[in-house]
Amino acid sequence: MTLVEKIGIVFKVLSRENSRIVHSVRYTCCLVVLPIISFLFFAVILSKGVPSDLPIAVLDEDHSGLSMKLVDMIDSTPTPECRYFVYDMNEAIDLMHKGKIYAIVQIPLGFQKNILGNKPAHVETYNSGANISANGLISKDIQTVVTSFSVGIQLQILQKQGLTAAQAMAQAMPVRFVKHVLFNPYINYGYYLAPCFMPLMLVMFSVILTIFAIGSELKYGTAPEWLALAKGSCRLALAGKLLMITLIMSILSVIMYFILFVNIGVPMNGNIFVLFISTILLILAYQAIAVFVIALTCNMRLALSVGGGYSVLAFTFSGLTFPIMAMDFPMQVMSCIFPFTHFMKIFVDQAIRGVSVSHSIDEIIYLLLFQLLVVFVLGRLRKVCTDKRYWGKI
Amino acid sequence: MNKFIEYFKLYATEVKSVMRNEYRSIFSDPGVMLILIFALIIYSVIYSLVYRPEVLTDVNIAVVDESHTHSSVQLTRAFDWAPNTHVSARPLDMEEAKRMFDAHEIYGIVHIPKDFEEQIMSGRQSAVSVYCDASYFLMYRQVFQDVVATIMKAGAFVELQRLMQKGVNLPQAKAVTQPIIYQSHTLFNPYLGYGTYVMPPIMLLIIQQTALIAIGMIGGTWREYNLYRSIIPKGRDRLSSIPVVAGKAITYVLIYATTIAYIFGVHYRLFNYPTNGNVADCVAVIIPYLLSCIFMGITISTIFSKRESSLMWLLWISIPSILISGCSLPKETIPHWLYTIGQVLPSSDALPAYIRVQTMGASFNDVVPEVSRLWIKVFIYGATALISMDILLHRNFATKLEKRLLQTRIKLKKDLENIIRRRNKYAARVETTEEPKREVRRLTIDKSIFRRHKDKQIENNSEK
Repeated sequence: MTLVEKIGIVFKVLSRENSRIVHSVRYTCCLVVLPIISFLFFAVILSKGVPSDLPIAVLDEDHSGLSMKLVDMIDSTPTPECRYFVYDMNEAIDLMHKGKIYAIVQIPLGFQKNILGNKPAHVETYNSGANISANGLISKDIQTVVTSFSVGIQLQILQKQGLTAAQAMAQAMPVRFVKHVLFNPYINYGYYLAPCFMPLMLVMFSVILTIFAIGSELKYGTAPEWLALAKGSCRLALAGKLLMITLIMSILSVIMYFILFVNIGVPMNGNIFVLFISTILLILAYQAIAVFVIALTCNMRLALSVGGGYSVLAFTFSGLTFPIMAMDFPMQVMSCIFPFTHFMKIFVDQAIRGVSVSHSIDEIIYLLLFQLLVVFVLGRLRKVCTDKRYWGKI
Repeated sequence: MNKFIEYFKLYATEVKSVMRNEYRSIFSDPGVMLILIFALIIYSVIYSLVYRPEVLTDVNIAVVDESHTHSSVQLTRAFDWAPNTHVSARPLDMEEAKRMFDAHEIYGIVHIPKDFEEQIMSGRQSAVSVYCDASYFLMYRQVFQDVVATIMKAGAFVELQRLMQKGVNLPQAKAVTQPIIYQSHTLFNPYLGYGTYVMPPIMLLIIQQTALIAIGMIGGTWREYNLYRSIIPKGRDRLSSIPVVAGKAITYVLIYATTIAYIFGVHYRLFNYPTNGNVADCVAVIIPYLLSCIFMGITISTIFSKRESSLMWLLWISIPSILISGCSLPKETIPHWLYTIGQVLPSSDALPAYIRVQTMGASFNDVVPEVSRLWIKVFIYGATALISMDILLHRNFATKLEKRLLQTRIKLKKDLENIIRRRNKYAARVETTEEPKREVRRLTIDKSIFRRHKDKQIENNSEK
């Protein structure tokens, strides 16, 4: 068979697949409509990026000028908003139980008196750990405020003792730190979550569609027709069948990156070409896994359950929320069987960190290795497609 | 009254037969079993194992110490001692540190300048630079908090020493260096464990997700294999919708009761998730949640005509539904209109309510708004389940009628063809026998079937 003939065959299978796509509502929707809806969903829900104005309660037992000033300062930071002023702790805890506040700031009696009397004063916060993302942001802001408030008081005391402003500053904070937050300077939530969720949607739909495309041939017993069109070549039949899904998913990934980098504003510091290639490799890797699953189970719905479950798991193992290095060793090993984990490493390196391409090469090779799964099951797939016993399975 | 009892008996037999068939379709189908029964257990176990370490400790950082003095070495040691950071490398310059950083060997860099000790000794301010990797959220938080806390502590220590050199006594010096003692208490999740934070909402969400998909699968199967028609009891035209919905709901409630019992009885203890809530309060949240999920599932299942449809349509909503419930992102971040749309899902009420009860130890009174909204959803989805099931069964019934109609139509057509054939035959004979043709032409197709009798007579006549 010459190359031209092969291409001709692939095109024949492709056009057959296209008519299947057009004639099935499910197929079209999963291929185009649902992925775009999901992208828009993430674009909207993550558009705000940094959570701001999270309600907290203040229990100010001191009611003094200084305590009010501290409350004002806390209120003016981006994350917490002092929405409730309560009179006792039970009331505050009640608000927390009702889900209205994330934290309680308590300023005990004698706050101003102690500060003016050169005695240590107390400030306590009670921060709900039920939502650690809100907790982290609120406690960071409150801590910053209390620290700068405290430094301000020190400066005043020291200046009263006759030091100049600069001397007082050097005395109050002998070691200053210069903060450099690399790559995600705004600690933007969208930057963490969007790059993880949106490719995951691509992955999910690629897996489902690939299993559906092959599985429906088995279910309705049209597999021989499909193979016959490819002149019995399993490889060409597969290529023609999956090409459209790969193509459309790649186009969708362009839309996805447009939303990610332009709308949400995720930094793009590295090589976008490498990133795009690895996205296509990611789609292909998951398609290979899908072919593997359907060929082994030869039962569309079981394959869909297994493939769907597997693609959802990838999120947990991606390491973007809970780092892989913190997991137990067996779980670290398990994280390698998800192409998505490797892709996320490439994404972080190429888009957010902008390191040189050489750091991503081994991850790209891992992604390529997943494609080999198809080679293992080609024989099995041919058997499944030609043997009547495997068809019509529910 | 008798009629009522009769109906009740009929309904009871229908419920039984629906339940029997429901169980049969579930347990004869590994794909459904995987999702309906095992998914909750498998996912809970895998996720819990992944998040078992709960917190990230000993993140590798590098210290670039250009000062090489006693105080800088002390500071480096302090970074190492901090709970979350571990000084794994002491590169000579920033270039090397950056290379290690790019190779993911370290996740933070602290740069101590050349004149560090000099500045401190001479009573001036010395600057330490901190480079934190914010591309991984948890990593950033751990490294940054620890490094900053260590630097602040070191600074306070230097200040204390200076003051004491000046002859200030210890308590006074302490009051100057630390005018405000700040204490932060973390409630409900003291070590800010990641598993403790995400697992309760995830486990609850899996219930909704698997219920919607699995019920849709079974519903699709029933439609695909016409089970709704084949289990119609004798002497009835179609199933009634109430027993079908009831039978299905009871089956799923029983199955989920078992798996949920595992989650809360065994799994919670195995992985030590917080159980601050009263058991009765938790159950009060979970019952309406489970019911509304099941009724919603039954409603949606009537739409699917094929068994694989539900998974294809619904798989992707798992992550959006956990985001929109406000349990991972604070709900203040979500645009209001989107949050309102999200309220159609039972999880949007149940997840926050459950976390407040179980993790935060809130009482039932605190979650009354959510629980009442959940009960409203139970009734709404119960009603939609009944209505959509009724439409579905009616349509099935209608197609049955249609089939009968079609059969009669086919029969009529055959009769018609027969008649025409006979007519032609007759006409041929007539031609040969040269009888008047007027009689023949009057036999039009429309009326011919009604003239079957007459036709026969004519035929008989002609034979005579």
